[in-house]
Amino acid sequence: MNTEATPIVEIQGLHKRFGDNEVLKGIDLQIAEGEVVCLIGPSGSGKSTLLRCVNLLETPTEGTIVAAGHDLTARDADLDLARRDIGMVFQHFNLFSHMTILDNLVVPQVRVCKIPKAKAVAEARRLLAEVGIEGKEQAKPSQLSGGQQQRVAIARALAVKPRLMLFDEPTSALDPEIVGEVLAVMKGLAAEGMTMLVVTHEMSFAREVADRVLFLDGGVIVESGPPADVLANPKTERARSFLHRVLHPVD
Amino acid sequence: MGAATEATERRMTPTQRRRLSRGIQYAVVAAVVIALAVVADWGRIADSFFQVDIAAAMFPEVWTPFWNTIVYTLLAFVFGMVVGVPIALMRVSDFGPYRWFATAYVEVFRGLPALLVLFLVGFGVPAAFPGIQYPGGVYGQVAIGLGLTSSAYIAESVRAGIQAVPKGQVEAARSLGMSHTRTMITVVLPQALRIVIPPLTNELVMLTKDSSLVFVLGVTTATMELSKFARNELTSEANATPLLVGGLLYLLLTIPLGLLARRLEKRGEAR
Repeated sequence: MNTEATPIVEIQGLHKRFGDNEVLKGIDLQIAEGEVVCLIGPSGSGKSTLLRCVNLLETPTEGTIVAAGHDLTARDADLDLARRDIGMVFQHFNLFSHMTILDNLVVPQVRVCKIPKAKAVAEARRLLAEVGIEGKEQAKPSQLSGGQQQRVAIARALAVKPRLMLFDEPTSALDPEIVGEVLAVMKGLAAEGMTMLVVTHEMSFAREVADRVLFLDGGVIVESGPPADVLANPKTERARSFLHRVLHPVD
Repeated sequence: MGAATEATERRMTPTQRRRLSRGIQYAVVAAVVIALAVVADWGRIADSFFQVDIAAAMFPEVWTPFWNTIVYTLLAFVFGMVVGVPIALMRVSDFGPYRWFATAYVEVFRGLPALLVLFLVGFGVPAAFPGIQYPGGVYGQVAIGLGLTSSAYIAESVRAGIQAVPKGQVEAARSLGMSHTRTMITVVLPQALRIVIPPLTNELVMLTKDSSLVFVLGVTTATMELSKFARNELTSEANATPLLVGGLLYLLLTIPLGLLARRLEKRGEAR
């Protein structure tokens, strides 16, 4: 990891409150270009909220966020421009249900990036092939399996050429036997050098692909380090007990 | 529970009880039908409603008011959509004044009788603004007069449709860098309109019937709609057959629309 270069994500003193409920209680986080960071933690720990703050789908109550070269918390920030550089993949895929698979990838390119239609179609086909979806261009999202939909969703996020990808529990809504096909696509993306911030419960993915694992609990980062440290030798009791519950649910 | 009912219940199985209840209902219906058949003066009814020569004499003139009914309905519907969709968008806006205006608009035009709005457009506005000309004459008056009421209902339907589009669709669009407006046009509205096709079809049925109010604007032979034509014939022939013909022609429009709405609704559920 090159600590000299400017980080692609820099979060300082991030707080997020929903009414009286303070979900994030002071997060400081830097992510270097090309780094893969996995966010783990019990439900309600604030992982998804933290992720959604990085592209300002949630507006921070306090603190600053700079991502992909955009000062997102600046008063005059152009969020639409910034979000092109920050791709996002959702738990429930959120493909545009009234469009064909191909249009899901073409329309954002044409409407957001003003890419000519023909070029956008070619790029869409290339991306679909890359995530292993072929011959489904004219299908509607509802005709695809969950795993296929999520792979299309990843391709769609990539279509506007982001520099950073956010994944919000991308495999949590999938049947266990098709989780692998989505993780394989994500692993390939990581290997290509994409910067990724991933909220996940897939510890094997975190162990294998992440450069760094963050354990969040009660709105603060409790542990941070290489997966070998955080997952195998957690320092805190909270992380230990969480990992035990995730890895040995029957006990 | 009384001893008598308990005894009855013990004597009859549920199937028997259901049969008895059915039997009683059939008996009542049969009694009413027989009573009507005996009491009614069928000759007179036939004379009033089923004069074939009077019905035949309405053609082909009846096609002009029939066609006008369709034109008035479509004009009002188009006006209702053109105004109603933006009002719906304003109702879900996060800019307060838009929301307030749209809410007031919907409350006013949903609350006023269509007839009163038609009077307002046809006579109130021209009186207040002398020299005002509606584009297309009576057609313009109808489009606005019926369309204003319709737009309030359409706005409410479309608003419900917009709110029924899953939030994830908006989040996905915004995360791709689409602006709020772009998201509305490209993602939310197309889905919302699909959701509200059944209520919009019903609105079209309502408008078909409300077009019968147009006569208050003072229409000529060329601009007459179906109800007015039927009533004129009723007066001149002193016979009710024209009402039957007019009514059948309305059903010729509204029943297919109703069937269409039901089919679209089913298709919506299947999705």
